[in-house]
Amino acid sequence: MMSEGNLEKNSKSALVIGGGIAGIQAALDLADMGIHVDMVEKKPNIGGRMAQLDKTFPTNDCSICILAPKLSECSRHPNITLYSYSEVQKVDGKSGNFSVDILKRARYVKEDECINCGVCVEKCPMRVIDEFDRQLRKRRAIYMYYLQGVPAIMTIDKDKCLWFTKNACRICEKVCEREAIDFEQQDQLIKLNNVGSIIVATGYNLIEDIDNEVLRNYGYQKYRNVVTALEFERLLSASGPQDGHVKRLSDGEKPKKIAYLQCIGSRNDRSRKYCSSICCMYTTKEAMIAYEHNNELESYVFYIDMRAGGKGFQSFIQRGENDYNIKYFKSKIAQITIDNKENPIIVYEDLDNGEIKKLQVDLAVLATCIIPPEGIEKMSEVLGIELNEYRFVKTPPFDSVETSKGGIFTCGCVHEPMDIPRSVSEASGAAARAAEVIRGG
Amino acid sequence: MNKMAYDLFLGCVIPARLPYLEVSSRKVFEKLGIELRDVDGFSCCPDPTGIELIDHETWLALGARNLSLCNNNGGVISFCSGCVETLKGVNYFINKDIDAMQKVNKYLKKIGKTYEGKTEVKHFAQILYENLEKIKENIEKPLEGFKIAVHYGCHYLRPSEIIQWDDPFAPVTLDEIVKTLGAESIEYELKMECCGNPLDKSDSDLSLQMIDNKLKAIYEAGANCVVVVCPACYQQFEFNQRELNKRNDSEYNMPIFYLSELMALSFGFKPEELGFNFHRIKPKELFESIGFNI
Amino acid sequence: MSVINYEFRNEVLKHNASLSYCYQCSTCSGGCPVALLTEGKYNPRKIIEEAILGLKDKLIESQDPNPWLCSTCQKCVELCPQKVELTEIFTLIKNLCFEEQKFPEAFYSQGKAVFDNGVAIPYSNSIVARRKNLGLPEIKIASVEEIKTLMNETNFAKNILRGNE
Repeated sequence: MMSEGNLEKNSKSALVIGGGIAGIQAALDLADMGIHVDMVEKKPNIGGRMAQLDKTFPTNDCSICILAPKLSECSRHPNITLYSYSEVQKVDGKSGNFSVDILKRARYVKEDECINCGVCVEKCPMRVIDEFDRQLRKRRAIYMYYLQGVPAIMTIDKDKCLWFTKNACRICEKVCEREAIDFEQQDQLIKLNNVGSIIVATGYNLIEDIDNEVLRNYGYQKYRNVVTALEFERLLSASGPQDGHVKRLSDGEKPKKIAYLQCIGSRNDRSRKYCSSICCMYTTKEAMIAYEHNNELESYVFYIDMRAGGKGFQSFIQRGENDYNIKYFKSKIAQITIDNKENPIIVYEDLDNGEIKKLQVDLAVLATCIIPPEGIEKMSEVLGIELNEYRFVKTPPFDSVETSKGGIFTCGCVHEPMDIPRSVSEASGAAARAAEVIRGG
Repeated sequence: MNKMAYDLFLGCVIPARLPYLEVSSRKVFEKLGIELRDVDGFSCCPDPTGIELIDHETWLALGARNLSLCNNNGGVISFCSGCVETLKGVNYFINKDIDAMQKVNKYLKKIGKTYEGKTEVKHFAQILYENLEKIKENIEKPLEGFKIAVHYGCHYLRPSEIIQWDDPFAPVTLDEIVKTLGAESIEYELKMECCGNPLDKSDSDLSLQMIDNKLKAIYEAGANCVVVVCPACYQQFEFNQRELNKRNDSEYNMPIFYLSELMALSFGFKPEELGFNFHRIKPKELFESIGFNI
Repeated sequence: MSVINYEFRNEVLKHNASLSYCYQCSTCSGGCPVALLTEGKYNPRKIIEEAILGLKDKLIESQDPNPWLCSTCQKCVELCPQKVELTEIFTLIKNLCFEEQKFPEAFYSQGKAVFDNGVAIPYSNSIVARRKNLGLPEIKIASVEEIKTLMNETNFAKNILRGNE
């Protein structure tokens, strides 16, 4: 689907791996420069973590509202070919001349026919734990990764679909008016030659995604009223499992007191030594949004240091304290216990008077550590790029978009935890460097 | 395979104050076919909640002296968590720090001894956990009806870098042993909290408050007895219930067992053989109430 | 007013360099059972803070917070995100208190008992008899001379014999 447009003949293309905000920005920048971009995203839809957020700091703008125009530009841009539900399998060659094998997984849905009407979803009998909503609700075996996802095409999860697992059902096929269901669809191997440069932007996971002892002392997954920050973000979202009306998971009551615990798994020699970078800011953001939903809410933030170094960040925190009923305590929490009503109990030190106090809250939110994305070890082997000691992509200290291999660049959280503004500017940086390779010859 | 044999380090408290706990422990190991070798000339380990805190160097010297008396063939075990911590701790420090190793041996030389830091130290519960199959074979009376609040204590687990055994916050070994004996292990709030015994040296009121909190939580959870693996915890739990009842409105009457006592019971030994009459809180009532046939 | 004692501070740091990793997060205090019971009068974070600052007078002279209230449960050590070796640092501070003769009576009793007898709890005649009745072997404890020799070498004897406050 290459459009001639302003492309020079026999020109090299760029490959962007990762369809989150960093990958999207890099792809758009390259495409606007007239370079053909192949974009590969593992999930059925692009959007990444930003699509999971309700609002973004420091402006508290609606996340999807900023993201959606970029998503649609990506899918329509004549210079971008989007491979969603796909993965890079093999990379050969060197800077200026890579050849890439992409596995395009079968969705079992005809991409040209599906109009995302949703009838199949309504009828599908299989309930599957929803990963986008951080396991807080269930989706179906045929699904959109999230409501506003791009491409707006359904996908069948063949590990859960009754036809693939038990040779039964096929209701979706029966009800689809466009006859878009195609159980005979096969995985495809796409071979790209003439790839000049590659940008790695595969984002991040969170420490709760892997088994980690550090969360045990906080009762995560043992106490129902202890959630992680990203789970809380889904609860705050209007498109989330509680339609934005935050309710306790134990009894459905509205919480009146919420404790936010910082540095869970980060800045910790027993877990991850580094700082997860964005949690101080997003916690205040979440507390502000929660207050907007319910202005009787009392929020308590327990931190080691308040890291708010960007433009307008410190005053953001100050506003939280002044206008949103957030109290900040410099006292990292050692553990959470619960009382007989499943209310989390927090023990902390009040540095104003040196007293150790017990606080009973209705809900506790854990700001958990950012970790490298799933599959990064395999990806580093496929691409031949080095990872650092924390298994993020290794970059030189003064050139954070370069990797250990020429022609392969990186941006966003896959090499270091960072916020959206920084991811976006790095993406443009990576795009410029990728273009240099392609243009420079 | 050679018969398992360990040197036995008794410490101060059990042999001189709670000898009946020694009885059941020895009987259990005998039944399991594990030899315990008595060694002459041990001193106080010394107490990791006592002498270590006032003079670390003396603690190292006396501890190393105790270890130097050991056979070095199979290692040494103790029935006391405190002694285990001290002996493991001495090994840890002198193996980590060459200065400590040299200093300690300089002192030991004055009494004609040396120690190279190579004697393995284990808690008796470690050995039991490593022999669950053998234990199962010897059970004649599964402990049905026992609802046990397992109290791990602190020095059995921490500091994990020195003790190197069970998980410091979510341990399983003692629960596993208790379940193997056929009893139920009850989850209770404050399960991982300290009994407070070491605090008795500095502030006995605070120490009592700590054990009061634990007993309250244990009662609330519905346990009918407590199991410990440390004589300090044993004393803290057993000796203070009457005092607490006097001070507050509590009616504590909870039998406290050493792990080896329960194991000996399950092996078919009679309570008279095990010295239960020496317990301050007699377990007879408990046995009758759960119909444990003695 | 507290005064920074640089010599003291360096002595503690030399003994245990992990002291300098502390970033005063209060995880230790939040998990400490005695801190909770005393509502913060006993506070491990504060003891470490005073050690970092070299406030010898607070730590050894006035013992505020009182390091002897540590129950040695080691929770703080296991929880500390910076792997500060709290109990070892507390032990060092208590050792220094001992040298200054400012320590609780119970520690004196135990130390003196071991010095005099080799064990903390000497074997009374009734216990020896009871052991025999229970079929337990006779205990042969350490030679008191050996223990005294060691304790003289380490200067323990000097400190324990000075009498206590």
